[in-house]
Amino acid sequence: MGGQAVKLVLERVGHAFLGRAVLEDFDLALTDGEVVALIGPSGCGKTTILQIAAGLLDPLRGRVRRHYRRHAVVFQEPRLLPWLAARDNIAYGLRMNGIARDLRAAMVAQRAQDVGLSAHDLDKYPAELSGGMRQRVAVARALAVRPDMVYFDEPFTAVDVGLKRILQDLVIEAAAREQFSALFVTHDLSEAVRVAHRLVLLPRRADGTIVERAIAGEPGRRSERAIFALVEAWSADPAFRELFDGRESLH
Amino acid sequence: MAFFGWAGRYLWSAWAGACGLLCIAAAWQGAHEFYGSFILPSPLETLREVAVILPEPWFVRAAGETAIRSLTGFALAVGIGTLTGAVAGYSFAAMRLMRPVVTVILGVPPIAWIVLALIWFGSSGGSAVMTVVVAALPISFAGGLEGVATRDRALDAMARSFGAGVWLRFRTLTVPHLISYLFPAWTTTAGTAWKVTVMAELLSNTGGIGGELATARALFDIPRVMALIVAVVAFALLTEYALLHPLRDRLERWREAGLPWGVKR
Ligand SMILES: Nc1ncnc2c1ncn2[C@@H]1O[C@H](COP(=O)(O)OP(=O)(O)OP(=O)(O)O)[C@@H](O)[C@H]1O
Ligand SMILES: [Mg+2]
Repeated sequence: MGGQAVKLVLERVGHAFLGRAVLEDFDLALTDGEVVALIGPSGCGKTTILQIAAGLLDPLRGRVRRHYRRHAVVFQEPRLLPWLAARDNIAYGLRMNGIARDLRAAMVAQRAQDVGLSAHDLDKYPAELSGGMRQRVAVARALAVRPDMVYFDEPFTAVDVGLKRILQDLVIEAAAREQFSALFVTHDLSEAVRVAHRLVLLPRRADGTIVERAIAGEPGRRSERAIFALVEAWSADPAFRELFDGRESLH
Repeated sequence: MAFFGWAGRYLWSAWAGACGLLCIAAAWQGAHEFYGSFILPSPLETLREVAVILPEPWFVRAAGETAIRSLTGFALAVGIGTLTGAVAGYSFAAMRLMRPVVTVILGVPPIAWIVLALIWFGSSGGSAVMTVVVAALPISFAGGLEGVATRDRALDAMARSFGAGVWLRFRTLTVPHLISYLFPAWTTTAGTAWKVTVMAELLSNTGGIGGELATARALFDIPRVMALIVAVVAFALLTEYALLHPLRDRLERWREAGLPWGVKR
């Protein structure tokens, strides 16, 4: 973990959709360089929290304080512009930030290399890329703007196990290298344990209790054995039971 | 180099179109041999007549008039229709309100508009232009409305996450999406514009190709009637295949990428 400066604070945030409470009095703080995994059963409000934190959704109650320069979001689906080649998709965030065209090219090339895309792939349209490559483009687009806070919303659920590991490692590496803080939403406990410093488990219902656990060691330095043991231990923990009973939450 | 490759392929694909046209010509020749030259001149006679009238100053002037009227009508219909449609697409209330209006306006046959335009504008070029605008505007309006209404909210949220303002999002997300919605509307409008202009000119006797058509009919000059019809069809085809389709191919190359045989560059 980097310094102790607070990057993001959610204070007593509450939200409801069409009168149905999804969140109540939710608190969260992220420090500099900290990666927090937000985990919970489907429909418990993870995406809602992420959208509130990223300013894509205004909470009904509570406050959000952001002490960072710039954020980027990696969504569950790649959300690429189908009419732009991969190169221009990666440059999209830079373009929205008003960076001149000739400056973008070098940054795009650098990011493409970081996420393992070849120069050849950069000229392809999203329809010509595989699902994994599209998600790489989405990650590259987010990292290209040099964010100091990144929001990930279950970014790797749609890719196969092998590729998932590669992409996770890529995120871990980038976070360590560039010292950004991240809120990483997932419903996969081993993914959370692999990428994060700390884990926040949301309950199925808005009025349930929130569980917080620190994860020993640094992301990327933990052994496979340690990760596996921790996931095993927590799977047996009653506090994590809701995560595995496979029901959709009914508010 | 890439451009020439594309142009070559585009021209090559014209062969298929030419085959279709030749089938029509064959059927036409058959009908000609059955009915005789007085009722239906042969394709060759007609083409000869086309060659005769093309260089004549009266034809050039008439074609120019018709072209200017249909172009003005097209520009007005597409401009106003797209703009108002796009604005309406942003508002649910306007959408609900305008859908039935569009249906009603589309339901009125162009011939009825011509009669009204004649009453309002008298025998001037304005009636032809107005008829084109009224007949074609709802198509662009509907295209603009649907285009904006069906824009991808997920992409919009993505752009907002990068701090993009309304104008940037409109330009980089909504406009490209709109264009794919509007192209069919524009090609339909372009075709309609020529046809409706000629019809309005013929009925209001305000010169142009329609006016010449009326004169040729009065003189029972059948080859000239056929030649004029062929000229109008040629103009309509030219607008569509020499102007609109190449434009769309350039703008929408990414769509080809999704096709099974991959992108062609
Ligand atoms: N725009 C919306 N309108 C109405 N209800 C919504 C909306 N978005 C989310 N909800 C509801 O809010 C609850 C929380 O949704 P959210 O998307 O935050 O869940 P999640 O934890 O991200 O689930 P998942 O793991 O399946 O992505 C769900 O019950 C969902 O039905
Ligand atoms: Mg979600």
